Amino acid sequence: MAKLTIPAPELMRAGHSACPGCAPALAMRLMLKGLGPRTVVSVPACCWTVIDTPYPTTALGVAMLDNPIESTGASISGLRAAADALGIQDLNILGFAGDGGTADIGLQALSGMLERRTDAIYAMYDNEAYMNTGVQRSGSTPLGAWTTTTPVEDGARGKAEPKKDIMGIVLAHRPVYAATVNPSFPEDFVRKVEKARVLRGPRFFHIFAPCPPGWRYASDRTIEIGKRATDCGIFPLYEVEEGRYHVTRKGGALRPVSEYFQAQGRFSHLGPEDVARVQAQVTADWERLLRLENGT
Amino acid sequence: MTLKVMSGNYAQSYAACLARVQVISAYPITPQTSIVEKLADLVASGELPAQFVKVESEHSAMQVCVSASALGARTYTATSSQGLLLMHELLHWAAGMRAPVVMGVVNRSVAPPWSLGADHADTMSQRDTGWIQFYAESNQEVLDTVLQAYRLAEDPAIRLPAMVSEDAFYLSHTLEPVEVPDQSLVDSFLPARDARAVLVPGVAARLGSFTGPQQYVEFRREVAKAMERVPEALRQIEKDYQSLTGRFHGGPVEYYRAGDAEAVLVTMGTMTTTARTVVDEMRAEGHRVGLAKLRLFRPFPATEIRELARRTDRIGVVDRSFTFGAAGAAATEVAAALYSGPHHPVLSNFIVGIGGREVTPNHIHAMFDRLLAGKGPEVQWMDLPLPPEEVAHG
Amino acid sequence: MGATLEIRFHGRGGQGAVVASELLAQAAFLDGKMPQSFPFFGVERRGAPVTAYTRIDDHPIGIRTSITTPDIVVVLESSLLRTQPVTDGLREDGLLLVNTRNPAEELMIPVPVRRAVVDANQIAVAHGLGSPTMPIVNTAVLGALVGASGVVSLKALDQAIDEFVPARRAENRAAAEDGYHAVHVVEANTPFTPPVPQAVGPTLSLPEGPVATLSSELIHTSAWRTLRPVIHLEKCTRCNFCWKFCPDDAFTFDEKGYPVVRAEYCKGCGICAVECPPRVIEMVEEA
Repeated sequence: MAKLTIPAPELMRAGHSACPGCAPALAMRLMLKGLGPRTVVSVPACCWTVIDTPYPTTALGVAMLDNPIESTGASISGLRAAADALGIQDLNILGFAGDGGTADIGLQALSGMLERRTDAIYAMYDNEAYMNTGVQRSGSTPLGAWTTTTPVEDGARGKAEPKKDIMGIVLAHRPVYAATVNPSFPEDFVRKVEKARVLRGPRFFHIFAPCPPGWRYASDRTIEIGKRATDCGIFPLYEVEEGRYHVTRKGGALRPVSEYFQAQGRFSHLGPEDVARVQAQVTADWERLLRLENGT
Repeated sequence: MTLKVMSGNYAQSYAACLARVQVISAYPITPQTSIVEKLADLVASGELPAQFVKVESEHSAMQVCVSASALGARTYTATSSQGLLLMHELLHWAAGMRAPVVMGVVNRSVAPPWSLGADHADTMSQRDTGWIQFYAESNQEVLDTVLQAYRLAEDPAIRLPAMVSEDAFYLSHTLEPVEVPDQSLVDSFLPARDARAVLVPGVAARLGSFTGPQQYVEFRREVAKAMERVPEALRQIEKDYQSLTGRFHGGPVEYYRAGDAEAVLVTMGTMTTTARTVVDEMRAEGHRVGLAKLRLFRPFPATEIRELARRTDRIGVVDRSFTFGAAGAAATEVAAALYSGPHHPVLSNFIVGIGGREVTPNHIHAMFDRLLAGKGPEVQWMDLPLPPEEVAHG
Repeated sequence: MGATLEIRFHGRGGQGAVVASELLAQAAFLDGKMPQSFPFFGVERRGAPVTAYTRIDDHPIGIRTSITTPDIVVVLESSLLRTQPVTDGLREDGLLLVNTRNPAEELMIPVPVRRAVVDANQIAVAHGLGSPTMPIVNTAVLGALVGASGVVSLKALDQAIDEFVPARRAENRAAAEDGYHAVHVVEANTPFTPPVPQAVGPTLSLPEGPVATLSSELIHTSAWRTLRPVIHLEKCTRCNFCWKFCPDDAFTFDEKGYPVVRAEYCKGCGICAVECPPRVIEMVEEA
C-alpha cells in the first residue's frame, strides 16, 4: 500500500448531511486532519450547520459551537479569551464559515478579530454564493455567474459585479499567516494547516469549495473543477507569512479560463467576449501575485 | 465590609470584580461607559485577573461572552439602549445555549429622536429573549443583585443569562454610599462556576445544534422550566445573602406598606425611592397607600401580584416605557397575572418618566389620587397637558 | 361536497419532487379546483429523500398538515421503495405511481393497490432534461400521473408547465405528453412483504442538555445514492486517491491496504471513480 500523503486519523465523521460531492465537507475533513483533536470549531449559519447533522448527533470528532451567521470572528475571540482565562493550553481555535458569513455579513466581526490579534484560525470556505439557502449571490460570487438572484435573462447575464477580494481585505489587517487552499490539492492544504497550527496570532484560510448543485455540475467533477480553477489561475495557491508571499503551486503556463468555465452550468451563458474579459483580469492578477512573491 | 460612595456604574464594576469574572467584553455607549472603563482599570492594574476583549460592536460583545461561557468561563458585559438592541439576536443565543452570562444594562431611551435619559424601552424590548431581568432601585441594590444574579444564572437547575438593569443617570451617574462586601464573604456566597454542559477541549460534542420540530419544542420547554425555577431559587439565594450581609431586597417583589393598602402602585427601578417618600406622606395624612416594587420582571412574579390583589382593591402599574399599540409592558403583565386569579381589583396604567423625564413626588401623588378617586382611563400618560375632554371631566 | 384528493410525492433533492407538487396544484387550479401544495420542510440536500404534498378539492382546503393517508403516492425514483416507507398510509383504493424501468407487476410493495409505472428517466434524458446520472423527471412523471389517474386534465398540466416551469418549457411539455402515453397501469394484487426499512437516524428521547454528543455515524446515508462504486481490486494500485478525495469519509482499508467502500455512508457522488488514476472504480446503478 502506498504511503498516505495526508494524516490517517479522521476527525470528520461519516453519516453527515452534505450533498454528494460536497467540497466544504472535504475541506472540513482536511482542516481537522491538519489541526488534530485538540480543536474547538465555531460554525455560523452556513452549509456546515446542516452538514453536521441534527441534535443529538454531530459529525465532528472535536468540540463544536454554533454561532449566528455574522459573528464568527467574535466567537473565536471569546473562545480564546476563555481558554486563556481558564488556563487551557494547546488548544486550536477554528472559525469555519461560508463566504456570505465572512465576506458579507461577517466582515465586521472578522475585521475585529484580526485587529485585536486573536490567537485563532479563521477559515472561509468559498462556495461563491449563499448555498444553504439555495444559491443566492454573495459578495464572493464571481462576475458572470448565474445564481437565483442573478438570473440569466434577456437583459441580465448573471452577476454584474466582480468577486470581493477577501484575501486583500484580510491581508490589509496584517495577519501572521494567510493562505489559499483547495481540497483538490490535499497535501498542500494539510501542509499549510499544519504550518499555521503552530503559529500564534490571527491566521486565515481562503478555501476553494466547489458546490455541485449551486455551480451546476455533476457531483463527480468536484476535484477536477478545483484543479482547473487553480491551474487556470482563477484560484492560485499561495501563502502569506508576515507579509512574505509564496506561491505554492506553479504548473508552468496557466491553462485558459475557458476550461474552467466550460465545466459549470452557472457560466454556460457566457460568450467569448465575457471569457476574454475574465481571462485578461486573471492573467493580470496572476502576474501581480508573482510580482508580490518576488518583492518587485 | 467597606462603605464607599460610588455611582451605580461603579457598583456594577465592583460587583463584577468581586464575582471574579474571567472574561469581560464590551463596547462603549453612553451612559454605560464608565462601567467598562472601571473594569478596564481593574484588569490593567492586575486587581482583576480577567481577559477583557475589546470588540467592534455590542453584537460581538455578547458573542464573546456566549462563546467564552461555552468553554466554562464566568463572563460579564454591560450596555445600554441602542447597544442592547443590537445585541438582541445574541440574547436569544445566550438563553438557548444556556449560557449564564450576566450583563449590566443602563436603561436609556431608544432613538429617534436621540436622547440619553432613563427609559425602560431598551430592556422591555428584550423581555422575550429568555433572560432573567432585574431592575434595581439603588446603587446598593445594583451591587448586591449582580452578585445574586451570578448565583442564580449559574444554578445547575437554571443555567440562564441574567441582566441587572439600572436607570440612566438616576443610578448610573448618581453617587451614593454603597456597602462593599469583603472578597472572602463574596467567595463563600458565590463559588466558582459549575461548568456542566459546556464544551470540553478534546471531547466531541456540539453546543447549539439544529433540530426538527419535535426536538425544538423540547429545547424551548427546558428553557421555560428553568425560568419557572427562578423565583424559588432567588428566595433561597437572597436568604443566603442576607445571612452574610444582613441585606435583603425583597425577593421577586418588594412590598412597601402594602399589607393593608387600599391603593398600591406597582413600580420599577429608581421611581420607587421617590414613591416611598410619597407613601409615607400620604399615610401620615390618613391615606392607606402602598407600593409593590417589581425587582424581577422575567420571570414575571405573577404569584406575588395575585397575592397583592387579594389584599388591595386598586392597583396602579407605573411603566417607564410604552408598548405601541398596547399598554405599558408591566401593566400588561399584571393584568395577565390577575386574569386567572380570583381577585380583580381596579387596574390603571400610568406612563411616566419616559426619555429621562423626571418622576416627581407630584406625579406619584397624582397617580395615587387618581387611583383612589375611582376608575380612570386604563392607560394614562402622565405629565402631558390634559386633552380638553379630560379637563372638562376633571 | 366531495372528499379531498390527497397526493404524496417521494423523490430526492434535485429531482423536482417539490416542483412536481406545485405544478400539479397549478394544473388543478386551471381545471377550476381549489388546490394546496407544500413541501416537507426538512433538510433538503441533493440526493437526500424529500417529500412533498398536493391536495385537490372543489372547495378551499381546510387543513394544513402533512398527508398521512394519501389517495395517490408518486415515487420519482424506484430505489426509494427500498429505503423509504413510501406506501405508509396509502388507501386500499389508492394508486401508486413509480418511475422505474421495471414492469408494474414486479414492483415489490407491501400493499395491494393499483399501481402504475413509467420510465421517466428515459423520457427526461430523451428531451435533454437534467443529465443521465441526474435526470429531472418531474414533468414526465406528472404526465404519467395524469395518464394513470386523470387527477387533472392533460391540457391543464400542459398549460401549468408552460406558465410556471422556469426553463426548457417545450421539452418539459413534450416530456409530460410522453409520460401521459407511456404510463402502464395494473390492478391491485397480493402484497409483497418487504424487509423493514433501515433506520435512518437514532431514536430520540427528550434532551437532557443542549449538548449533542452522539456520532453522526449512527445515521446511514446509503439511501441518498442511485449509483454505487464497485472497485475492481485486481487492477487497484492501492494509491489511496479514492480515500483521499472522499467528502463522505466512506472509504476504509482492508488489512492488505486495499480500499473498502463503507456502503452505509457512500452517497454515490462518483468522485472516487473520476479521480482513480488507473480507473478501476466503476459506478453502477443500485439494484
